[in-house]
Amino acid sequence: MCRWWTILPLLCLACVEESAAPADFAAILYPAGNPSTAAGVELGERLFFDPILSADSTVSCASCHRPERAFADGTAVSLGLGGLAGTRNTPGLTNVGYFHHPLFWDGRADNLEAQAGHPVGTPHEMGGTWPEAVARLAASDTYGALFARAFGSPDIDSSRVGHALAQYQRTLVSRNSKYDRVRRGEATYTALEALGHALFFDFGDDPEGAYAGLPTAECAHCHTPPHFTNQRYENNGLDEAMDLQTFPDPGRGAVTGIPYDNGKFRNPGLRNVALTAPYMHDGRFATLEEVVDHYNSGGRYAENRSANVHPLHLDARQKAALVAFLHTLTDTSFVVSFSTKSDRLIEGAGARVQ
Amino acid sequence: MKYLLPLLVLLPLLGCLDDDDQLDPLRDVQFTLNYRATYGGDPLGIQRETYGYPTGDSLKVLLFQYYVSDLELLPADGDDAVRLAEIDLIRWMSAAEDATQQRTYLVPPGDYRGLRFGLGVKPSLNARDPSEFAANYVLNEAEFWGPSTRYVFAKIEANAMLEDDGRFDTGLSYHMGSDALYRTVSLEQPFTVGGNETPTLTLTADVLRALSGNGQTFDITSPDKQTVHGGNQEVATGIWNRLAGQFTLSVE
Repeated sequence: MCRWWTILPLLCLACVEESAAPADFAAILYPAGNPSTAAGVELGERLFFDPILSADSTVSCASCHRPERAFADGTAVSLGLGGLAGTRNTPGLTNVGYFHHPLFWDGRADNLEAQAGHPVGTPHEMGGTWPEAVARLAASDTYGALFARAFGSPDIDSSRVGHALAQYQRTLVSRNSKYDRVRRGEATYTALEALGHALFFDFGDDPEGAYAGLPTAECAHCHTPPHFTNQRYENNGLDEAMDLQTFPDPGRGAVTGIPYDNGKFRNPGLRNVALTAPYMHDGRFATLEEVVDHYNSGGRYAENRSANVHPLHLDARQKAALVAFLHTLTDTSFVVSFSTKSDRLIEGAGARVQ
Repeated sequence: MKYLLPLLVLLPLLGCLDDDDQLDPLRDVQFTLNYRATYGGDPLGIQRETYGYPTGDSLKVLLFQYYVSDLELLPADGDDAVRLAEIDLIRWMSAAEDATQQRTYLVPPGDYRGLRFGLGVKPSLNARDPSEFAANYVLNEAEFWGPSTRYVFAKIEANAMLEDDGRFDTGLSYHMGSDALYRTVSLEQPFTVGGNETPTLTLTADVLRALSGNGQTFDITSPDKQTVHGGNQEVATGIWNRLAGQFTLSVE
């Protein structure tokens, strides 16, 4: 059979002008089973801000993932249905669509589609069940048509909800922080930010460089650009454990069943990190200054502590410089853009976002 | 627009392939290459094994990895080398991993005299930005020196016990890589692909021999030799040269 139709999209592709500038990041990997569409993104956005998924219609995804906080929530651990406290800090979602390794602090979800399935049935998050959530969606006046536009039929199930939410989250792209603008030659660091940049990326290691002899802060081994995470799991020395079985939260080990993974958590991306306080998987550090103090101390002992976490011997100015650099990862346009849109959506959904 | 003309020429041909059209029947044979990691000859057990070091100290390995470029089989008759892979990252970082990792390739049957690869990321790839590659490509495994520099070719990370107190509390972290360090490794070991039975090749890298071998060692109790990410070139170059020189190839 002649495949004449294969020619059309390729012709269109061939006619696209080449971009002179290199891409900021490797392209998002859109799963073959869930290609993003305008209708799918629109549905996902609406679902994200609508508390209809929770048992009593009071908690939406955006209750914890608040756009004005780069999709974190400002609390040590997430607060769900009825104010129930969870066990982990809400991670921000900046550039989450670029992550192709497992998600959550412990990596228990393989991808965004799978991740979306978890909160609905978790008692301290949305506190309900998927059949109930699907029934509420099906009973609404609007969702049938939105699902039909997004997926070709009005059928609603948890998989489609997850797919739509994933499509929306793949639009949460930040590429206009001061760090990005400096990279593009559109801005310059202050002296303090430049020092922090040099510390973050271990410029002191270059014996011929301008920062030769500067301490190295060892940040970028795990918080690797462009998204400032290597998407892997480390024990960063938060809790002392002479025995690997004694971590208060086993983290990755609870998922893999491997005791050597106990106390390890996913290295979070640092884009917009200044907006996502408090920090660490349990929100134990209120400020970036506390975070830097922790790493400067070398952390607490466990035999699986990262070999790159050790006393840094940074002085007060160097610590302040690291914090200043971390603030350059804030993308105000990203936050403003999604916050503005969310106000409209929350109003429309009648959601109570606290 | 510059691709438009060639596409106009080629696409009608591409578009008219029948669904049941096949490429030429593959005469190539599936060939397995094992990458094996050891420590002092014993299978490497990330985190779960305790190993001795020549200074009398002991350590647990957390990470061992290296890039290989232009992995090639060398035909016995002197023909052009058979490319197996342009780039690959060989990594051990979990206690769950076996000391031997397997890769399979399709190769032409024939007699071969050995194998050749570049240790590290070859200069032509090392010059390219990660954003040029797919996010899940081996050159996007977040093994970068920094935002404007390129790839870390190899890493060895471990926690050492320097006092006999049961605490592996001294981090050892060695990261290496630059165009100047790129090395071509050739290993001679005749074998035949095809025929009655195609052998499995095993490429072994020994972490201890990279840290301390050929009569060379360094003192891991010295603080300036515990974290080497380019700053202590003497230590880094020593480890790199030993790593490049210790690979062995066996045929089974």
